Amino acid sequence: MMAGAPQARSAGIRYVFPVFAGKLARFATRLRGGGSAFPGYLTNRLAPTLLPTLADQFTYGVVFVLGSNGKTTTTHMISEVLRAHGLKVFTNPTGANLPQGVTSALLADATLTGRIRADVAVLEIDEGYAADLADRLSPSVILSLNVQVDQLYRFYETERVADMMLEASKRASAHVVVNRDDPYLSKIDADAMRGEVSFFGVSSELVAASAHGLANAADTRSGNAGILDHEAYAEVTRVDGRDVVVRVDGADAAITLPARGLHYAADAAAALTVASRVLGSAFSAQKAASGFAQMAPAYGRGEVIPLRRDPAGEQVEFVMFKNAPSLQMNLDALDAAPERALIAIDEGTPDVSWLYDVDFDGLKRIDVVTGEKAFQLALSLEHAGVEIGVVEPDMEKAVALMRELPPTASGRQTWFVNYELMMIGRRLLGHGDQEVARR
Amino acid sequence: MSASVQIVQLYPVELGITGDRGNVRALQTRLERGGVSVEVHQVGIGEPIPADADIIVLGNGPLSAMRIVADDLRGRAAELEEFVQSGRSLFAVGATAELLSEGVDTLDGDTLAGLGIFPFRVARTRDRNVGYIIADAPFGRIIGFEDHASRWTLGEGAQVVGTVVAGKGSFSRGGVAGETVQRGASYATNVQGPALPLNPRWSDAILAAVTARRGIDWAVGEAHSRLDEYAQGARDAIEHLVHSKDFSTIGL
Ligand SMILES: [Zn+2]
Repeated sequence: MMAGAPQARSAGIRYVFPVFAGKLARFATRLRGGGSAFPGYLTNRLAPTLLPTLADQFTYGVVFVLGSNGKTTTTHMISEVLRAHGLKVFTNPTGANLPQGVTSALLADATLTGRIRADVAVLEIDEGYAADLADRLSPSVILSLNVQVDQLYRFYETERVADMMLEASKRASAHVVVNRDDPYLSKIDADAMRGEVSFFGVSSELVAASAHGLANAADTRSGNAGILDHEAYAEVTRVDGRDVVVRVDGADAAITLPARGLHYAADAAAALTVASRVLGSAFSAQKAASGFAQMAPAYGRGEVIPLRRDPAGEQVEFVMFKNAPSLQMNLDALDAAPERALIAIDEGTPDVSWLYDVDFDGLKRIDVVTGEKAFQLALSLEHAGVEIGVVEPDMEKAVALMRELPPTASGRQTWFVNYELMMIGRRLLGHGDQEVARR
Repeated sequence: MSASVQIVQLYPVELGITGDRGNVRALQTRLERGGVSVEVHQVGIGEPIPADADIIVLGNGPLSAMRIVADDLRGRAAELEEFVQSGRSLFAVGATAELLSEGVDTLDGDTLAGLGIFPFRVARTRDRNVGYIIADAPFGRIIGFEDHASRWTLGEGAQVVGTVVAGKGSFSRGGVAGETVQRGASYATNVQGPALPLNPRWSDAILAAVTARRGIDWAVGEAHSRLDEYAQGARDAIEHLVHSKDFSTIGL
């Protein structure tokens, strides 16, 4: 623990004013439209011990989910598996993974005296703040999913991201869970950890059969670019579309993924490892499978929405990506080239150099290329030999263009989108009204 | 000597993480669409560079990767010096541009000896230069993305390519911010994006030199119109963003 980090106290009257002030600020900023860092900031200033005090109340502890890619999906998976075992789960809304967002989410569920009623907290946490938040929330389990070339303009060097995850992991009191198939994470120094280290992975046969493996970053630091082999506590042993088998501590769990793709299978193995470690002997592979069955497709991950507001008509399948590895894994999971496709990136992704590291072999044609980065996208697709229909940077016009095209034989269009344009696309199709939060 | 143009990407695994393959793709695609056949070779540590190489593309990556390739690259110093002197084209971005300089002074007080192919010295800095970069060059406007924590100090003979119009650039000379250093048909730059797909006239300057040297007929024509149209659209979008006042897309 960091010297001087605020310690947990008991819930009580001392928290009424700060919690009330925070909730009020939260209400006010929501009225103005959208979230804000301010309520969390305010509460942390008024009562620095509130956060540790809230975290201290989860009998099954606090779980951190870190990783370059898959945090939201995996947080959702762990939550549903734990719920299927009868636990009441607290979790943060999608993307609210910075300190103020986590505080604000806890604030929303806390009583005025600083009590929170849930058995376990499962939190996706931004790598850059993981160690700092671990000092305040004392997680029992820290999961690190993967280290990928991502957001270099923010993190500079990929190995730094690995170090952030592993440094935070030292603070887990009970379990550290890492990806055996990630070159940096597989080299974890288990002796430096307080918690027991468990690995998850995908069988080497499945990785070898995947066109681009798992797309984790090569280790350019140690002289061994690949992974160190470890026995996996949970390993994906079979994949058939969305149906996969994960061997967890010797027992097979047959589960259905929310969407196709080997990266989702790896996320599932991670989630099962965490759930098994949190629950101990109470973990059941059957209950875990029923947890996965409960998972509605999350936004942009296998979700299908009517193209022209007609539920019986043509459907749009959203495929969300945030970086080269996630786009590559989604392309690799395609059965065949999509019959009709849109692709979109906006200015929220300022540097798109990585587009040239993606193999677009799985695509023959993109009908509409859109978003503020449309021309940069089109330029990379043209270099990759993908046929392009129209380049239309305006998403609204692009959606209109997709609606005007003759109906597909498959009754389905595929839209590859980054997060922001997925939300805009959903709204343009009349599905923007739903709250961006996990159950 | 073969009839096709030989393009080498050096250290694609260790130093090729900022879409550097795109620079290879741009040169290859423009040649092929102009009717010239191309062979691309990926060359790693310990592997020989084909003797008939026409273009060597080197990419970007972290300091740790620079340290891993440094000895291997230094072992090629004479070969690369001869390559540049003979008028062939070396295109180095970021980390490899730094290794081809006279040396790199890192923040921890360490010095990484360079190959001295390009006449400048690099100091790593605490401040990072991140954002769009626009610079005026003899072949037209360079447009791309910069993301580096370094300042270059140019030697006397350094030939400056671009005068910075927007962004930070890699160095300053006579109080004027500049970007990219040239020697013959070879370039050291910090422009990503990657640079060559976004800057067709830069690619063409390289390809004109390379094909002329080899006596190969190659010209830009109708076959390049889509590439140029999309590049122009991308360039216009970036210029528009840079010139709009509320440009603040990079949340750091
Ligand atoms: Zn749910």
